Amino acid sequence: MLFAVAVAPLAVACTTEPPAPPPPDPLSALAAQARADAALAKTLTTVPAAAEIAKARETHAGLLQAEVDRERPPLSSTAPPAPTIPPTPPDPLAALRTALDDAVREASALVAKVPTYRAGLVGSVAAGCASLREVLS
Amino acid sequence: MNVDAVQTALGTEHAALWTYGMVAAFLGNQAAAVAEGSNAHRARRDTTERWLRDQNATPNPPAAAYLPPSPVSDGPSALAALVAAEQDTCAAWRGVLERTDDAALRTTALEALTTAAVRATRWRKAAGTTPASIAMPGVASG
Repeated sequence: MLFAVAVAPLAVACTTEPPAPPPPDPLSALAAQARADAALAKTLTTVPAAAEIAKARETHAGLLQAEVDRERPPLSSTAPPAPTIPPTPPDPLAALRTALDDAVREASALVAKVPTYRAGLVGSVAAGCASLREVLS
Repeated sequence: MNVDAVQTALGTEHAALWTYGMVAAFLGNQAAAVAEGSNAHRARRDTTERWLRDQNATPNPPAAAYLPPSPVSDGPSALAALVAAEQDTCAAWRGVLERTDDAALRTTALEALTTAAVRATRWRKAAGTTPASIAMPGVASG
């Protein structure tokens, strides 16, 4: 009888669901967005500023991914999946402008939600995207 | 902590305002853009001083003069001084972002960082600097 009482809580503890996996790091979405923008910019060989935009967005992707990996080291050493290059949009320049506008908006929205040690990084990415947008305007 | 970072940002706003006043004589052909930048920094200075007073801090006064990174004697050197002033404000406001959990202050700091980065880009474009954009505004290497 005494044995059963002692064992019961243990059994409960063992059968409870494992904790849900943590939600994805919000910075991974920004990093993926930066990689996709860099890939899009690389297709715009006729736009003079495109190379500069591709390079800057690659820088953003690298810094954001480094922060994601620092906080939650990847299980394997595999690189993040390369963005699947979508079919070239009918007006790639307009698509790039829209992408940069989205990037400014999404990074800016995230600044309010991240801890202080990430706020500077995300804030600089937002401001950097606004700077890139200014180059295209 | 917060207050110190905001005082630093206020210092860069004072310096930027002084710089815009100093270079105006060399950039007569861009008077509208100079006035716009000047007004933006004046407004930012005023709101920053108000924020500090609300925290019971005394806003640091401006210096009598500031030393631009290189002498200003013509249009190109005037543009370089403006770019430097804007990048200094970027760094200071990024510093505020890294030190506060206050949502309203973060919004202000982000807005100051972003608008200064856009103005710096505009002046770099006017100067013909490549790349005109700044990948990571507020970071020394960017």
